[in-house]
Amino acid sequence: MYELDLRLKDYYDELDPKRRLEILDTFAEDESVKFLRELYCERYSDHENKGRKNVDWWLWRCICLQILYGRGNFFRKFRDKEVKLILDELYVDDTHKNFLYHEYRNLARRYLSTCRGANYASRFMGFRQASDEEKVLKACADIWQMSKGIAKLTGLEERMQVFIEAFYDELMNFSPLCHAEYERLNQ
Amino acid sequence: MHENKFAAIFKQNAIWLVFILEIIIFAVASEGTFTTQRNIINISRQVSYYGIASIGMTFVILIAGIDLSIGSIITLVNVVCAWLMVRAGVNMWIAVILSLVMATLIGVLNGFMVATIGIPALIATFASQTVFEGIAYLISGGMPIAGFSPSFGMFGRWSVGLVPVCAIIMIVCFAVGSFILNKSYFGRYFYAIGGNEEASELSGIRVNKMKYLIYALSGFFAGLAGIVLLSRSMSAQSTIGKGFEFDVITCVVLGGVSVNGGIGRMSGVVAGVLIIGSLTNGMILMDVSEYTQMVVKGVVLAVAVGIDCMSKKRNAN
Repeated sequence: MYELDLRLKDYYDELDPKRRLEILDTFAEDESVKFLRELYCERYSDHENKGRKNVDWWLWRCICLQILYGRGNFFRKFRDKEVKLILDELYVDDTHKNFLYHEYRNLARRYLSTCRGANYASRFMGFRQASDEEKVLKACADIWQMSKGIAKLTGLEERMQVFIEAFYDELMNFSPLCHAEYERLNQ
Repeated sequence: MHENKFAAIFKQNAIWLVFILEIIIFAVASEGTFTTQRNIINISRQVSYYGIASIGMTFVILIAGIDLSIGSIITLVNVVCAWLMVRAGVNMWIAVILSLVMATLIGVLNGFMVATIGIPALIATFASQTVFEGIAYLISGGMPIAGFSPSFGMFGRWSVGLVPVCAIIMIVCFAVGSFILNKSYFGRYFYAIGGNEEASELSGIRVNKMKYLIYALSGFFAGLAGIVLLSRSMSAQSTIGKGFEFDVITCVVLGGVSVNGGIGRMSGVVAGVLIIGSLTNGMILMDVSEYTQMVVKGVVLAVAVGIDCMSKKRNAN
Protein backbone atom coordinates (compact mmCIF):
# COMPACT_ATOMS: atom_id res chain seq x y z
CA MET A 1 0.00 0.00 0.00
CA TYR A 2 2.82 2.38 0.85
CA GLU A 3 5.38 2.10 -1.90
CA LEU A 4 9.01 2.06 -0.97
CA ASP A 5 11.38 4.07 -3.14
CA LEU A 6 14.15 1.48 -3.41
CA ARG A 7 16.80 4.19 -3.60
CA LEU A 8 15.83 5.12 -0.04
CA LYS A 9 15.74 1.60 1.37
CA ASP A 10 19.10 1.98 3.13
CA TYR A 11 17.97 5.25 4.64
CA TYR A 12 14.81 3.73 6.07
CA ASP A 13 16.63 0.61 7.28
CA GLU A 14 19.33 2.55 9.12
CA LEU A 15 18.72 3.34 12.80
CA ASP A 16 21.79 5.45 13.56
CA PRO A 17 20.98 9.16 13.00
CA LYS A 18 24.52 10.06 11.83
CA ARG A 19 24.59 7.25 9.31
CA ARG A 20 21.12 8.26 8.12
CA LEU A 21 22.31 11.81 7.52
CA GLU A 22 25.23 10.53 5.48
CA ILE A 23 22.84 8.52 3.33
CA LEU A 24 20.52 11.49 2.99
CA ASP A 25 23.43 13.66 1.88
CA THR A 26 23.93 11.43 -1.13
CA PHE A 27 20.53 12.70 -2.33
CA ALA A 28 21.45 16.36 -1.88
CA GLU A 29 20.49 17.28 -5.42
CA ASP A 30 17.24 15.34 -5.41
CA GLU A 31 14.23 17.62 -4.94
CA SER A 32 11.89 14.69 -4.31
CA VAL A 33 13.55 13.86 -0.99
CA LYS A 34 13.55 17.44 0.26
CA PHE A 35 10.68 16.53 2.58
CA LEU A 36 12.77 13.73 4.09
CA ARG A 37 15.46 16.24 5.00
CA GLU A 38 12.82 18.37 6.71
CA LEU A 39 11.61 15.31 8.62
CA TYR A 40 15.18 14.49 9.59
CA CYS A 41 15.75 17.96 11.03
CA GLU A 42 12.47 17.85 12.94
CA ARG A 43 13.09 14.38 14.27
CA TYR A 44 16.67 14.73 15.47
CA SER A 45 16.81 18.29 16.79
CA ASP A 46 16.57 19.32 20.41
CA HIS A 47 13.19 21.05 20.55
CA GLU A 48 13.66 21.90 24.21
CA ASN A 49 16.92 23.77 23.49
CA LYS A 50 18.77 22.08 26.32
CA GLY A 51 21.99 21.82 24.34
CA ARG A 52 21.73 18.05 24.13
CA LYS A 53 23.27 15.93 21.43
CA ASN A 54 21.85 12.67 20.07
CA VAL A 55 18.23 13.60 20.55
CA ASP A 56 15.53 11.57 18.86
CA TRP A 57 12.64 13.95 19.47
CA TRP A 58 10.10 11.74 17.76
CA LEU A 59 11.10 8.76 19.87
CA TRP A 60 10.60 10.93 22.94
CA ARG A 61 7.18 12.03 21.73
CA CYS A 62 6.20 8.37 21.22
CA ILE A 63 7.25 7.63 24.80
CA CYS A 64 5.13 10.61 25.87
CA LEU A 65 2.15 9.12 24.01
CA GLN A 66 2.65 5.92 25.98
CA ILE A 67 2.87 7.81 29.29
CA LEU A 68 -0.30 9.73 28.41
CA TYR A 69 -2.02 6.43 27.68
CA GLY A 70 -1.01 5.23 31.16
CA ARG A 71 -2.69 8.23 32.76
CA GLY A 72 -6.09 6.91 31.66
CA ASN A 73 -8.93 9.40 31.81
CA PHE A 74 -7.52 11.66 34.50
CA PHE A 75 -7.21 15.25 33.20
CA ARG A 76 -8.81 14.05 29.96
CA LYS A 77 -9.00 17.50 28.40
CA PHE A 78 -5.30 18.22 28.97
CA ARG A 79 -4.37 14.76 27.73
CA ASP A 80 -6.31 15.10 24.50
CA LYS A 81 -4.85 18.55 23.88
CA GLU A 82 -1.32 17.27 24.38
CA VAL A 83 -1.86 14.22 22.20
CA LYS A 84 -2.99 16.49 19.35
CA LEU A 85 0.07 18.67 19.86
CA ILE A 86 2.34 15.60 19.68
CA LEU A 87 0.60 14.39 16.53
CA ASP A 88 1.24 17.78 14.92
CA GLU A 89 4.92 17.44 15.78
CA LEU A 90 4.96 13.94 14.30
CA TYR A 91 3.42 15.26 11.07
CA VAL A 92 0.47 12.91 11.53
CA ASP A 93 -2.14 13.55 8.80
CA ASP A 94 0.38 15.28 6.55
CA THR A 95 -0.07 14.71 2.84
CA HIS A 96 3.29 12.92 2.36
CA LYS A 97 1.90 9.65 3.64
CA ASN A 98 4.35 7.46 1.78
CA PHE A 99 7.42 9.11 3.28
CA LEU A 100 5.81 9.27 6.69
CA TYR A 101 4.80 5.61 6.75
CA HIS A 102 8.38 4.48 6.20
CA GLU A 103 9.75 7.04 8.64
CA TYR A 104 7.30 5.84 11.30
CA ARG A 105 8.37 2.28 10.65
CA ASN A 106 11.97 3.35 11.21
CA LEU A 107 10.85 5.05 14.43
CA ALA A 108 9.04 1.95 15.65
CA ARG A 109 12.07 -0.18 14.74
CA ARG A 110 14.33 2.10 16.75
CA TYR A 111 12.06 1.74 19.76
CA LEU A 112 11.89 -2.02 19.33
CA SER A 113 15.69 -2.19 19.06
CA THR A 114 15.79 -1.16 22.73
CA CYS A 115 13.42 -3.92 23.75
CA ARG A 116 15.99 -6.71 23.65
CA GLY A 117 18.32 -5.14 26.23
CA ALA A 118 19.14 -6.79 29.56
CA ASN A 119 17.28 -4.19 31.64
CA TYR A 120 14.14 -4.08 29.54
CA ALA A 121 11.03 -5.39 31.31
CA SER A 122 13.14 -6.48 34.29
CA ARG A 123 11.28 -7.23 37.52
CA PHE A 124 11.66 -6.37 41.20
CA MET A 125 13.78 -3.25 40.87
CA GLY A 126 15.94 -4.83 38.21
CA PHE A 127 16.76 -7.94 40.20
CA ARG A 128 15.09 -10.42 37.86
CA GLN A 129 15.77 -10.16 34.16
CA ALA A 130 12.82 -10.73 31.88
CA SER A 131 12.64 -13.76 29.59
CA ASP A 132 12.58 -13.22 25.82
CA GLU A 133 8.85 -13.90 25.77
CA GLU A 134 8.20 -11.36 28.52
CA LYS A 135 10.23 -8.79 26.61
CA VAL A 136 8.22 -9.41 23.45
CA LEU A 137 4.93 -9.10 25.33
CA LYS A 138 5.99 -5.84 26.95
CA ALA A 139 7.25 -4.49 23.62
CA CYS A 140 3.86 -5.33 22.12
CA ALA A 141 2.06 -3.53 24.91
CA ASP A 142 4.36 -0.49 24.57
CA ILE A 143 3.85 -0.23 20.80
CA TRP A 144 0.11 -0.79 21.11
CA GLN A 145 -0.25 1.85 23.83
CA MET A 146 1.71 4.52 21.93
CA SER A 147 -0.22 3.96 18.69
CA LYS A 148 -3.55 2.13 18.67
CA GLY A 149 -4.16 2.44 22.41
CA ILE A 150 -3.84 6.20 22.68
CA ALA A 151 -5.77 6.62 19.40
CA LYS A 152 -8.66 4.59 20.83
CA LEU A 153 -8.58 6.48 24.10
CA THR A 154 -8.70 9.87 22.40
CA GLY A 155 -10.92 8.93 19.45
CA LEU A 156 -8.19 9.83 16.94
CA GLU A 157 -7.96 6.47 15.17
CA GLU A 158 -8.80 7.90 11.77
CA ARG A 159 -6.24 10.68 12.01
CA MET A 160 -3.54 8.32 13.24
CA GLN A 161 -4.22 5.61 10.66
CA VAL A 162 -0.81 5.77 8.89
CA PHE A 163 1.02 5.97 12.20
CA ILE A 164 -0.88 2.97 13.61
CA GLU A 165 -0.34 0.91 10.45
CA ALA A 166 3.38 1.64 10.39
CA PHE A 167 3.82 0.68 14.03
CA TYR A 168 1.70 -2.44 13.58
CA ASP A 169 3.62 -3.58 10.48
CA GLU A 170 6.96 -3.07 12.21
CA LEU A 171 5.78 -4.91 15.31
CA MET A 172 4.75 -7.92 13.24
CA ASN A 173 8.37 -8.21 12.07
CA PHE A 174 9.60 -8.21 15.64
CA SER A 175 8.34 -11.60 16.78
CA PRO A 176 5.75 -14.20 15.73
CA LEU A 177 4.14 -13.81 19.17
CA CYS A 178 3.15 -10.23 18.43
CA HIS A 179 0.10 -10.88 16.28
CA ALA A 180 -1.92 -12.71 18.93
CA GLU A 181 -0.84 -10.29 21.64
CA TYR A 182 -1.79 -7.25 19.54
CA GLU A 183 -5.22 -8.73 18.88
CA ARG A 184 -5.67 -9.41 22.58
CA LEU A 185 -4.76 -5.82 23.41
CA ASN A 186 -7.18 -4.56 20.77
CA GLN A 187 -10.01 -6.39 22.49
CA MET B 1 -19.06 0.03 27.39
CA HIS B 2 -20.52 1.66 30.52
CA GLU B 3 -19.72 -1.48 32.49
CA ASN B 4 -16.11 -1.31 31.30
CA LYS B 5 -15.90 2.36 32.25
CA PHE B 6 -17.33 1.61 35.67
CA ALA B 7 -14.89 -1.28 36.13
CA ALA B 8 -11.97 0.96 35.14
CA ILE B 9 -13.01 3.72 37.57
CA PHE B 10 -13.53 1.11 40.30
CA LYS B 11 -10.09 -0.40 39.62
CA GLN B 12 -8.38 3.00 39.64
CA ASN B 13 -9.95 3.98 42.97
CA ALA B 14 -10.06 0.60 44.71
CA ILE B 15 -7.31 1.72 47.09
CA TRP B 16 -9.56 4.50 48.45
CA LEU B 17 -12.34 1.98 49.07
CA VAL B 18 -9.87 -0.12 51.06
CA PHE B 19 -9.08 2.99 53.13
CA ILE B 20 -12.78 3.71 53.79
CA LEU B 21 -13.38 0.07 54.71
CA GLU B 22 -10.44 0.17 57.11
CA ILE B 23 -11.83 3.27 58.82
CA ILE B 24 -15.25 1.63 59.22
CA ILE B 25 -13.71 -1.54 60.70
CA PHE B 26 -11.56 0.36 63.21
CA ALA B 27 -14.38 2.78 64.07
CA VAL B 28 -16.68 -0.13 64.91
CA ALA B 29 -13.98 -2.18 66.67
CA SER B 30 -12.83 0.75 68.82
CA GLU B 31 -16.41 1.80 69.59
CA GLY B 32 -15.91 5.24 68.09
CA THR B 33 -12.56 6.12 69.66
CA PHE B 34 -10.85 5.79 66.27
CA THR B 35 -12.94 8.54 64.68
CA THR B 36 -12.72 11.10 67.47
CA GLN B 37 -11.31 14.50 66.49
CA ARG B 38 -8.33 13.98 68.79
CA ASN B 39 -7.43 10.65 67.20
CA ILE B 40 -7.81 11.96 63.65
CA ILE B 41 -5.40 14.81 64.47
CA ASN B 42 -3.09 12.23 66.00
CA ILE B 43 -3.21 10.10 62.82
CA SER B 44 -2.45 13.16 60.68
CA ARG B 45 0.66 13.77 62.81
CA GLN B 46 1.71 10.11 62.62
CA VAL B 47 1.32 9.83 58.85
CA SER B 48 3.07 13.12 58.10
CA TYR B 49 6.64 11.79 58.17
CA TYR B 50 5.69 8.64 56.27
CA GLY B 51 3.97 10.84 53.72
CA ILE B 52 6.91 13.20 53.29
CA ALA B 53 9.45 10.37 52.94
CA SER B 54 7.20 8.42 50.56
CA ILE B 55 7.34 11.18 47.93
CA GLY B 56 11.06 10.64 47.30
CA MET B 57 10.60 6.88 47.47
CA THR B 58 7.84 7.12 44.84
CA PHE B 59 10.25 8.78 42.41
CA VAL B 60 12.89 6.12 43.10
CA ILE B 61 10.51 3.16 42.66
CA LEU B 62 9.10 4.76 39.50
CA ILE B 63 12.51 4.37 37.86
CA ALA B 64 12.61 0.74 39.04
CA GLY B 65 15.04 1.56 41.83
CA ILE B 66 14.88 1.42 45.62
CA ASP B 67 16.29 3.48 48.47
CA LEU B 68 16.92 1.49 51.64
CA SER B 69 18.96 4.31 53.17
CA ILE B 70 16.07 6.61 54.07
CA GLY B 71 15.74 5.16 57.58
CA SER B 72 19.38 5.91 58.33
CA ILE B 73 19.11 9.36 56.68
CA ILE B 74 16.25 10.12 59.07
CA THR B 75 18.34 8.91 62.00
CA LEU B 76 21.41 10.87 60.92
CA VAL B 77 19.41 14.05 60.30
CA ASN B 78 17.91 13.65 63.78
CA VAL B 79 21.29 13.25 65.42
CA VAL B 80 23.17 15.87 63.37
CA CYS B 81 20.46 18.53 63.65
CA ALA B 82 20.19 17.94 67.40
CA TRP B 83 23.98 17.93 67.80
CA LEU B 84 24.30 21.20 65.88
CA MET B 85 21.62 22.91 67.96
CA VAL B 86 22.48 21.53 71.40
CA ARG B 87 26.20 20.80 71.36
CA ALA B 88 27.49 23.28 68.73
CA GLY B 89 25.01 26.05 69.57
CA VAL B 90 24.07 26.64 65.94
CA ASN B 91 20.94 28.65 65.15
CA MET B 92 17.87 26.43 64.65
CA TRP B 93 17.23 27.46 61.03
CA ILE B 94 20.87 27.02 60.03
CA ALA B 95 20.92 23.58 61.70
CA VAL B 96 17.79 22.58 59.79
CA ILE B 97 19.19 23.81 56.46
CA LEU B 98 22.56 22.11 57.04
CA SER B 99 20.82 18.85 57.93
CA LEU B 100 18.69 18.99 54.78
CA VAL B 101 21.77 19.72 52.65
CA MET B 102 23.50 16.74 54.24
CA ALA B 103 20.49 14.47 53.55
CA THR B 104 20.41 15.63 49.92
CA LEU B 105 24.13 14.98 49.55
CA ILE B 106 23.68 11.45 50.88
CA GLY B 107 21.06 11.04 48.15
CA VAL B 108 23.59 12.33 45.59
CA LEU B 109 26.08 9.77 46.89
CA ASN B 110 23.47 7.02 46.38
CA GLY B 111 22.92 8.37 42.87
CA PHE B 112 26.66 8.21 42.21
CA MET B 113 26.87 4.59 43.34
CA VAL B 114 23.84 3.55 41.30
CA ALA B 115 24.23 5.63 38.13
CA THR B 116 27.98 6.14 37.76
CA ILE B 117 29.49 3.05 39.38
CA GLY B 118 26.58 0.80 38.44
CA ILE B 119 26.02 -0.89 41.81
CA PRO B 120 22.47 -2.32 42.03
CA ALA B 121 20.28 0.14 43.94
CA LEU B 122 19.40 -2.42 46.63
CA ILE B 123 23.06 -3.06 47.47
CA ALA B 124 24.22 0.57 47.14
CA THR B 125 21.52 1.97 49.39
CA PHE B 126 21.86 -0.92 51.84
CA ALA B 127 25.56 -0.09 52.13
CA SER B 128 24.87 3.58 52.76
CA GLN B 129 22.17 2.62 55.26
CA THR B 130 24.77 0.73 57.29
CA VAL B 131 27.42 3.46 56.97
CA PHE B 132 25.17 6.36 58.00
CA GLU B 133 23.52 4.44 60.80
CA GLY B 134 27.01 3.82 62.15
CA ILE B 135 27.93 7.49 61.79
CA ALA B 136 24.76 8.47 63.70
CA TYR B 137 25.87 6.16 66.55
CA LEU B 138 29.37 7.62 66.49
CA ILE B 139 28.08 11.20 66.72
CA SER B 140 25.55 10.54 69.47
CA GLY B 141 27.54 7.87 71.30
CA GLY B 142 24.28 5.91 71.40
CA MET B 143 22.78 8.44 73.82
CA PRO B 144 19.71 10.63 73.20
CA ILE B 145 20.31 14.33 72.53
CA ALA B 146 17.67 16.66 73.90
CA GLY B 147 17.24 20.19 75.19
CA PHE B 148 16.30 22.24 72.10
CA SER B 149 14.59 25.57 72.07
CA PRO B 150 10.78 25.09 72.41
CA SER B 151 10.31 26.94 69.11
CA PHE B 152 11.82 23.92 67.32
CA GLY B 153 8.57 22.14 68.11
CA MET B 154 6.85 24.22 65.41
CA PHE B 155 7.40 21.55 62.72
CA GLY B 156 5.99 18.59 64.64
CA ARG B 157 3.94 19.85 67.56
CA TRP B 158 2.32 23.12 66.60
CA SER B 159 -0.99 23.46 64.81
CA VAL B 160 -2.72 26.02 62.64
CA GLY B 161 -6.26 25.89 64.00
CA LEU B 162 -7.00 22.19 64.19
CA VAL B 163 -4.52 21.20 61.50
CA PRO B 164 -1.03 20.18 62.67
CA VAL B 165 1.85 22.01 60.97
CA CYS B 166 3.46 18.66 60.08
CA ALA B 167 0.29 17.66 58.19
CA ILE B 168 0.44 20.97 56.31
CA ILE B 169 4.09 20.29 55.42
CA MET B 170 3.06 16.83 54.15
CA ILE B 171 0.22 18.26 52.05
CA VAL B 172 2.54 20.87 50.52
CA CYS B 173 5.12 18.14 49.78
CA PHE B 174 2.47 15.95 48.12
CA ALA B 175 1.36 18.92 46.03
CA VAL B 176 4.96 19.54 44.95
CA GLY B 177 5.50 15.83 44.25
CA SER B 178 2.30 15.66 42.25
CA PHE B 179 3.29 18.75 40.29
CA ILE B 180 6.70 17.25 39.51
CA LEU B 181 5.13 13.99 38.33
CA ASN B 182 2.21 15.36 36.34
CA LYS B 183 3.13 18.80 35.17
CA SER B 184 6.90 18.96 34.79
CA TYR B 185 9.19 17.36 32.25
CA PHE B 186 11.10 15.72 35.08
CA GLY B 187 8.01 13.66 35.93
CA ARG B 188 7.79 12.50 32.35
CA TYR B 189 11.46 11.55 32.44
CA PHE B 190 10.90 9.49 35.60
CA TYR B 191 8.09 7.50 33.98
CA ALA B 192 10.07 7.11 30.76
CA ILE B 193 13.20 5.81 32.53
CA GLY B 194 11.11 3.35 34.53
CA GLY B 195 9.32 2.15 31.39
CA ASN B 196 12.29 1.76 29.06
CA GLU B 197 15.66 3.13 30.13
CA GLU B 198 17.46 2.49 26.85
CA ALA B 199 14.77 4.17 24.74
CA SER B 200 14.83 7.13 27.13
CA GLU B 201 18.58 7.45 26.62
CA LEU B 202 18.16 7.30 22.83
CA SER B 203 15.45 9.93 22.90
CA GLY B 204 17.84 12.37 24.57
CA ILE B 205 17.14 12.03 28.29
CA ARG B 206 20.28 12.19 30.41
CA VAL B 207 19.40 9.09 32.36
CA ASN B 208 22.36 9.21 34.75
CA LYS B 209 21.73 12.85 35.66
CA MET B 210 18.09 12.01 36.30
CA LYS B 211 19.12 9.18 38.62
CA TYR B 212 21.30 11.59 40.58
CA LEU B 213 18.36 13.99 40.83
CA ILE B 214 15.92 11.30 41.92
CA TYR B 215 18.15 9.90 44.66
CA ALA B 216 18.94 13.46 45.79
CA LEU B 217 15.20 14.19 46.03
CA SER B 218 14.72 10.96 47.96
CA GLY B 219 17.44 12.05 50.38
CA PHE B 220 15.93 15.53 50.71
CA PHE B 221 12.42 14.29 51.49
CA ALA B 222 13.81 11.72 53.95
CA GLY B 223 15.76 14.56 55.61
CA LEU B 224 12.61 16.68 55.86
CA ALA B 225 10.74 13.74 57.39
CA GLY B 226 13.63 13.43 59.87
CA ILE B 227 13.32 17.09 60.88
CA VAL B 228 9.55 16.74 61.43
CA LEU B 229 10.10 13.56 63.46
CA LEU B 230 12.77 15.25 65.59
CA SER B 231 10.53 18.24 66.16
CA ARG B 232 7.74 15.94 67.29
CA SER B 233 9.84 13.86 69.67
CA MET B 234 12.13 16.75 70.75
CA SER B 235 14.83 14.17 71.38
CA ALA B 236 17.30 12.71 68.88
CA GLN B 237 17.87 8.98 69.12
CA SER B 238 20.20 6.86 67.07
CA THR B 239 17.55 4.17 66.51
CA ILE B 240 14.64 6.38 65.51
CA GLY B 241 14.72 5.61 61.77
CA LYS B 242 15.22 1.86 62.09
CA GLY B 243 12.87 -0.06 59.80
CA PHE B 244 11.33 3.20 58.55
CA GLU B 245 12.18 2.39 54.92
CA PHE B 246 10.00 -0.73 54.94
CA ASP B 247 6.95 1.20 56.12
CA VAL B 248 7.56 3.80 53.43
CA ILE B 249 8.05 1.15 50.71
CA THR B 250 4.80 -0.48 51.88
CA CYS B 251 2.96 2.87 51.59
CA VAL B 252 4.29 3.45 48.08
CA VAL B 253 3.69 -0.06 46.72
CA LEU B 254 0.28 -0.24 48.40
CA GLY B 255 -0.50 3.03 46.62
CA GLY B 256 -0.10 1.30 43.27
CA VAL B 257 3.45 2.25 42.31
CA SER B 258 4.81 -0.78 40.48
CA VAL B 259 8.03 -2.35 41.77
CA ASN B 260 8.90 -2.92 38.10
CA GLY B 261 8.95 0.83 37.47
CA GLY B 262 7.13 3.19 35.14
CA ILE B 263 3.66 2.92 36.70
CA GLY B 264 2.13 4.83 39.60
CA ARG B 265 0.31 7.95 40.73
CA MET B 266 0.89 10.32 43.62
CA SER B 267 -2.82 10.14 44.57
CA GLY B 268 -2.42 6.39 45.10
CA VAL B 269 0.58 6.99 47.35
CA VAL B 270 -1.50 9.40 49.49
CA ALA B 271 -4.03 6.58 49.93
CA GLY B 272 -1.23 4.12 50.74
CA VAL B 273 0.16 6.45 53.41
CA LEU B 274 -3.29 6.97 54.96
CA ILE B 275 -3.95 3.22 55.02
CA ILE B 276 -0.66 2.38 56.73
CA GLY B 277 -1.00 5.34 59.15
CA SER B 278 -4.55 4.37 60.09
CA LEU B 279 -3.60 0.70 60.36
CA THR B 280 -0.77 1.51 62.76
CA ASN B 281 -2.94 3.85 64.81
CA GLY B 282 -5.87 1.42 64.81
CA MET B 283 -3.69 -1.44 66.00
CA ILE B 284 -2.28 0.72 68.81
CA LEU B 285 -5.84 1.62 69.86
CA MET B 286 -6.79 -2.06 69.81
CA ASP B 287 -3.79 -2.75 72.04
CA VAL B 288 -2.10 -4.99 69.46
CA SER B 289 1.50 -5.76 70.46
CA GLU B 290 4.39 -4.18 68.53
CA TYR B 291 5.52 -7.58 67.25
CA THR B 292 2.07 -8.41 65.90
CA GLN B 293 2.04 -4.99 64.21
CA MET B 294 5.29 -5.91 62.47
CA VAL B 295 3.73 -9.16 61.26
CA VAL B 296 0.64 -7.35 59.95
CA LYS B 297 2.71 -4.69 58.13
CA GLY B 298 4.92 -7.38 56.60
CA VAL B 299 1.85 -9.23 55.35
CA VAL B 300 0.44 -5.97 53.90
CA LEU B 301 3.73 -5.36 52.03
CA ALA B 302 3.75 -8.93 50.68
CA VAL B 303 0.10 -8.67 49.60
CA ALA B 304 0.71 -5.28 47.90
CA VAL B 305 3.72 -6.57 45.95
CA GLY B 306 1.89 -9.82 45.24
CA ILE B 307 -1.08 -7.97 43.73
CA ASP B 308 1.31 -5.91 41.57
CA CYS B 309 3.08 -9.05 40.32
CA MET B 310 -0.15 -10.96 39.74
CA SER B 311 -1.68 -8.12 37.74
CA LYS B 312 1.47 -8.12 35.58
CA LYS B 313 1.21 -11.88 35.14
CA ARG B 314 -2.49 -11.68 34.29
CA ASN B 315 -1.77 -8.99 31.68
CA ALA B 316 0.94 -11.19 30.18
CA ASN B 317 -1.43 -14.16 29.94
